[in-house]
Amino acid sequence: MANNQLDFVFPDKQGFAELIHSLRHGFSIRQSPAAVYYRTFYDTVDWLLRTAGSALELHDDGQSQKLYWRANKDAPLRIQLGLKQVPQLAKQLPAGEFRQQLASVISVRELNPRIQIKVKRIPLAVLNKNEKVVVRINLDENWFYPVKTRAGMLLGKRICVKAVKGYDEAFDQVEAFFHEMDLRPSQDNMMKLALAESKSSTIEYSTKLKLLLDPEMPAEEALKAILLRLLEIMEQNTAGAIKGTDIEFMHDYRVSIRKTRSALTLIKRVFPKKTVKKYSKFFSGLGKLTNPVRDMDVFLLKLESYAEKLGKSKQEQLQPLRQYLQDNRDKAQQAYVDTVTSAEYRQVLKGWRDYLESTDPIEPPQKNSRKPVSQLANELIWSTYQVALKEGNAITDETEAEALHELRKTCKKLRYLMEFFQSLYPAKKILELINALKGLQDNLGDFNDYHVHMDILKGFNEAGTDEAAIKVSTKMISRLDKKQHATRNSFAERFRAFSSQENQNEFRELFVVSNDG
Amino acid sequence: MKIIAIYNIKGGVGKTASAVNLSYLASLDGARTLIWDLDPQGAASYYFRIKAKVKGGGQKLVEGHNELDAAIKGTDYENLDLLPADFSYRNMDLILDNVKKPTKRLNRLLEPLAEEYDFIFLDCPPSISSASESVFAAADMLLIPTIPTTLSLRTYKQILKFFKQQKYDAMKILPFFAMVDRRKQLHRLIVDNPPSFMPVKLDSSIPYASEIERMGVNRAPVGDFAANSRAAQCYKSMWEELKSLMFEA
Repeated sequence: MANNQLDFVFPDKQGFAELIHSLRHGFSIRQSPAAVYYRTFYDTVDWLLRTAGSALELHDDGQSQKLYWRANKDAPLRIQLGLKQVPQLAKQLPAGEFRQQLASVISVRELNPRIQIKVKRIPLAVLNKNEKVVVRINLDENWFYPVKTRAGMLLGKRICVKAVKGYDEAFDQVEAFFHEMDLRPSQDNMMKLALAESKSSTIEYSTKLKLLLDPEMPAEEALKAILLRLLEIMEQNTAGAIKGTDIEFMHDYRVSIRKTRSALTLIKRVFPKKTVKKYSKFFSGLGKLTNPVRDMDVFLLKLESYAEKLGKSKQEQLQPLRQYLQDNRDKAQQAYVDTVTSAEYRQVLKGWRDYLESTDPIEPPQKNSRKPVSQLANELIWSTYQVALKEGNAITDETEAEALHELRKTCKKLRYLMEFFQSLYPAKKILELINALKGLQDNLGDFNDYHVHMDILKGFNEAGTDEAAIKVSTKMISRLDKKQHATRNSFAERFRAFSSQENQNEFRELFVVSNDG
Repeated sequence: MKIIAIYNIKGGVGKTASAVNLSYLASLDGARTLIWDLDPQGAASYYFRIKAKVKGGGQKLVEGHNELDAAIKGTDYENLDLLPADFSYRNMDLILDNVKKPTKRLNRLLEPLAEEYDFIFLDCPPSISSASESVFAAADMLLIPTIPTTLSLRTYKQILKFFKQQKYDAMKILPFFAMVDRRKQLHRLIVDNPPSFMPVKLDSSIPYASEIERMGVNRAPVGDFAANSRAAQCYKSMWEELKSLMFEA
């Protein structure tokens, strides 16, 4: 006996009755009443578990629920005992192997039911002369039920033959019976089949821009395409951002807002000034409104790793700080929810969508409206790159921190422009330059994060009344300050790498058209 | 993997019935479960329609490396396997005395099964010996079915005393009342007012019930043929209580 389980495909159009009849001819068969159970597959909105080859599966037969977890594609599916419900977030689980494995795949993302399969099972048992079960045979009909709908579709019928330990001979006999029937072994998994069915009926969630721009396209059309895609991303993340459990929705929502505002203000003289002014003010307002939510989310997440280094006794003293952060977050979140659920918000966004979807040319055209997008992209990226070089070169060890913040903003603009127009350039080359920029951005981002976190702690110290917590918070400020200094010290090296002659040549080659000048 | 031993020096207190029914309930939960019938009388093996015989006997099992896995048989229930009894287990003490570190031997034998099973139930023979000591060392939990009578309580006290003397972890010990017959005044009195030397015990208890006796006729756990009976419900409550102790601590 090589395997202890065999799976076969049974023809969809055939009933199981005839098969059971033939089995009864060769074996003593006990048939239990048919049973129904549901398999619900949980995953994040962006399918992190599936991508990693992991699986979280709930089996519900109406009487009991069983939760199964597979850590990776090579690991077995294992029951998770002692859990009262499926966790939404990894942090809700008790400390242990399961939590650690789950967190390493989904990080802070929220789990939701994504695919549901209904299994109608006829359980058969092959008995020996003492009426002891020696082989199990399950005859399954698998039905796909898109979550929250009633109509199902048959995914396929399967036969599963399972060995009972210590009764190899009986298993071999049953195996021979099925081989004689010439049934095809089944290797597919039902989740995959169901997913293929569901993909045709649902829009895939993605936060990638995925734009294909034609170099000759007038700039106004390209800009509308970019902004429309950003609006889609923003709308895809709104419900999750309102719910607030999975903090990545708010993050992605904010990124699309920031990119929208950058596209509006950086890609100048394409839309009329009045339009740019109206909408950049609107999106800037949304950015400011959600700043504290994101700041608190990031800090709450980082707090645990900061705290770890403080020792156990001090960690308990951090509770007032945690509460302070949570209260501030909840307040900011509520303000956001009030805004996005208002009629005014919906109205502005509808106007924005109507404007972007309109195919009428902009009249009167602005200076860059009809310019080929590739030409405008070259000009914008090159000039922003020049600004970044100039600002970076001016920074010395004595320069005020403000200059680093300015450079961070310029780099962000440059990155967005490169991403908006990515499809206009050779994929490998532009990706290399984006990666070179990323290295510098990480350094500037860390520098800024430390600054924001120290500001939050200072705010807590000023507002706080708990002396022990203030003492710990002050200690954390001094640690963060040291870290910020270290980050600052490594800036010069990072900038040198980014502004190397080689990179400069690459930027020139890609974004400066020789016959231009 | 958690190892749960059901043990008492006394015989006829409901050890096997408890081991069979609790292991059955664990497997119903989807946990991969093994029950090792350590009692040479082989009652647990009988209940699961499996012959109480191990090739090479206890000697080979204890001395060997992979013999344990090869001797395991699947029961009629999914996720529930059984390591059968063997008449040679009556000499388990002698067998263990011939190997190095006898008290740790059981643990070493069970170690390779950690990947395969979530729970291992040990249905122990009634005695106190080096075989029992091997169980005390290996088990995460030692369930002691105790009939609410004076003699049974005295036996429980002896076990406690032995644990303390030998410096075993007494925290592992979890007594519960078994074969409780509320028609008897003494049973009622003891169950309602447990003695002071029994500060920690399971809240659930198992009644004296004809369904449990019928397990021998049906050769199945009581939950299989009389799921709605009081006895089956009592085992179910006990299993829920054990799970909450294991997972919510």
